[in-house]
Amino acid sequence: MSSNKFLKHEGPWSDANDPLMCSDTGGWRTKRPVVDKDNCIFCGFCAIYCPIQIMEMVENSHFSVDLRFCKGCGICAKECPKNAISMIAEGDFQK
Amino acid sequence: MTEKKKGKLTKVLDYLKHEDPFSKGVAFCPGCGLELLLRFIPQVLGNDIVITGTPSCSAPVLLGQNNQSWHTLSYFGTLMTGAAANATGLARYYRKAGIKNTVVCFNGDGTAADIGFGNLSGAAERNEPFIYICYDNEGYMNTGIQKSGTTPYGATTTTTPLGSASKGKNLRRMNLGLKMAMHKIPYAATATLSDLEDLAKKLLKAKEAKERGFAFLHIFAPCTTGWGYAPENTIEVCRRAVKTNYFPLWEAVNGKIRMTKTVKKPQPVSTYTELIKKFAHLNEADLQILQDDIDYEYCMLGGLSVLEGECQLPVSSED
Amino acid sequence: MKPKTQDKTKPGSQIEVITGNAAAAIGAKLARPDVVAAYPITPQTEIIEQISKFHADGEMDCELITVEGENSAMNAVTAACLAGGRVFTASSSWGLVFMYDAILATAGARAPVVMVNVNRETPGIIAVSCGQQDMISTRDAGWIFLIAEDCQEILDLVLQAYRLAEDYDIQVPVMVHYDGFYLSYLSEGVNVPFQEDADRFLSVLNDQPQRTKLVPGGKLGCGTHGILGGYLELRYKHVSAMERSKAKFEEIDKEFQEIFGRSYGGQIEEYRMDDADVVLVGSGSMCGTIKAVIDEKRDAGVKVGLLKIRMYRPFPGEVMVAALKGKKAIGVVDRSLCFGFKGGPIYTELKAFETQLGGSKMMSFIDGIANTDITKANVEQMIDLTCDLAEGKDVREVTWVSYPEAQEPDSEKPDSEKRGGL
Repeated sequence: MSSNKFLKHEGPWSDANDPLMCSDTGGWRTKRPVVDKDNCIFCGFCAIYCPIQIMEMVENSHFSVDLRFCKGCGICAKECPKNAISMIAEGDFQK
Repeated sequence: MTEKKKGKLTKVLDYLKHEDPFSKGVAFCPGCGLELLLRFIPQVLGNDIVITGTPSCSAPVLLGQNNQSWHTLSYFGTLMTGAAANATGLARYYRKAGIKNTVVCFNGDGTAADIGFGNLSGAAERNEPFIYICYDNEGYMNTGIQKSGTTPYGATTTTTPLGSASKGKNLRRMNLGLKMAMHKIPYAATATLSDLEDLAKKLLKAKEAKERGFAFLHIFAPCTTGWGYAPENTIEVCRRAVKTNYFPLWEAVNGKIRMTKTVKKPQPVSTYTELIKKFAHLNEADLQILQDDIDYEYCMLGGLSVLEGECQLPVSSED
Repeated sequence: MKPKTQDKTKPGSQIEVITGNAAAAIGAKLARPDVVAAYPITPQTEIIEQISKFHADGEMDCELITVEGENSAMNAVTAACLAGGRVFTASSSWGLVFMYDAILATAGARAPVVMVNVNRETPGIIAVSCGQQDMISTRDAGWIFLIAEDCQEILDLVLQAYRLAEDYDIQVPVMVHYDGFYLSYLSEGVNVPFQEDADRFLSVLNDQPQRTKLVPGGKLGCGTHGILGGYLELRYKHVSAMERSKAKFEEIDKEFQEIFGRSYGGQIEEYRMDDADVVLVGSGSMCGTIKAVIDEKRDAGVKVGLLKIRMYRPFPGEVMVAALKGKKAIGVVDRSLCFGFKGGPIYTELKAFETQLGGSKMMSFIDGIANTDITKANVEQMIDLTCDLAEGKDVREVTWVSYPEAQEPDSEKPDSEKRGGL
């Protein structure tokens, strides 16, 4: 039999029992969503509409963003009924 | 304070009963409608679905690379020409072998409306026991935004470009959802990303309906890169598509059509097109052609629901 | 199809007079496929009619998918096969090439699909007639190709195809070819195996490790992108499996003989080859005629034999070289064309072994295309020309046997030249 260096199976099968691939999509971001906890009414719209599904509930009071993967699309800020999420240029955090 | 906040949590979250099986870092554009849809489906239907995917924007994520995968779902990478037939083969074998299954045949509009329509229609005619989902971004986005059968009148794509002799696509779009409903399958419905509770309900109805046969969902999933709108507007574009009746939300059980959301005062199509660059060149007369098409399709939808025995104009019973 | 007579002299079978298509259908039925998907096309249609009747009569417990086109037939059975099922489909000619993208995907996925292709012209020019051009159009798809000579061999090869395709060491789809019209509608006596013997023959597969299957919730996916080294690895595995299938097919021929008492010789069949000076190489239904003419020529003192190709992909180069080495002249009969080459496809491929054959001269015969019968007279002509070649006479490299116009001196010139210029 041939080697299984790249694929564990005889045919073109991928195997998710092994760790999943993951890209550093957080590095794509030019603007960062910043949640104003006080204004957040915990409606969850940001969470359901986030394409990456990375809005995390914090203490049943507000949501926070997983910045490792957030691409900065701004949907959460746009959909927030209280305008409690601001998109701040990443450059501002480097200063 | 916290107690008061809790009460307002969106009901949509109640439908997300299962884990998101996808890796968090995947190569979809920022603001991608497809990414939201793809993560939403298994959270509602469960992680034990078998999903099929064709060459498309979904393929780089649905299909692995050598031994590695971007998600934990069982999947089969199919050809665009035979996606519904592939799903048929899976569902039929599982039925024969007595294996409980939910096969989700997940395709773009290029596969569903164009190159794979024949076998989609064939699978519907044979009432095959699986769920077919078309995510409609109105064109061939993965190859660089070309015109498809669902590209609307006037839209520019790289194969319907603007020019001295062209104002974008000079043909009306195909009404894929209605076409499928007319196969009188157990379940057909339209849905979009602004109305996620509606979408979740329809996914669950499709799962239940596939026990009786073919279930089809036509899901409007805008493309920020291909259409030229700001990434944060993906949901707003969906919302306005519904509010203008550009993409009405309905369902059909055995071909019997019922609106799941009725817009009381539909807005003019310009409130939808103004967000999107692919329509930016259209003047009032051009927009009227698009508006007439929308009105015609909506009128026909209403007429069909009457013909199908509802004996009333389409009204919502749930919203 | 109820058994009419039971021939007790041939254990494990009953004799029925059936068509080639019925033999294929019964072969498939005996293999107990889980899923069958097919679309009608002349001259294959009778197969799916038979299977539909078996299914309707409750004799065949399978999911029968009456698809809307051949492309869907292949896609459906491939997916069912990857999910873990045993599958069957059948097609011909235009139908075969309408499933071409799926045929490639089936092989790429290493799905052990078994299908029957009833050889028919063309695709290319509309012709409702026999020819192997459809087989040639798909020969590089990565499938194992087997070719049957008569109705008995059709049934036997379908059973053997399952044993071969699903073998854990192979896992390559197998296509069984036989000549449309000449065999598809030919009725002859066929030993139809008993179901329990067919089950016993295929039961070897149950004792093997199970191939990778697509299971709901199983975290495996089929159709991953082959990237760089991974792509090469998959292709190398495929090529290796194809090579292994040659010896495996020989083993299977022996297993088959033990149970059913019939043996065909594996990759090739040699007919009166031992002391032959000249040899015709052929495949399919033409071989019956060739054998009859060889018998007559032998009676007249001509030392001629036949090498019948049973396994066309992988190409049985090693056994062909062993059988042909040292022969004075070889005439290869092709029922198809190899565009871009003057000679037929099998001739062109055998030429690759010319140096290993040790000086045997070779010539190409194109015949039997579009139901132009390969008659006894045609075969005689081929044998005579091959003998001429053996004797060093000046003969054309390629002969279109049923189209003598091709042998005229100006036949290759363009029409404009024949008319005296443009």
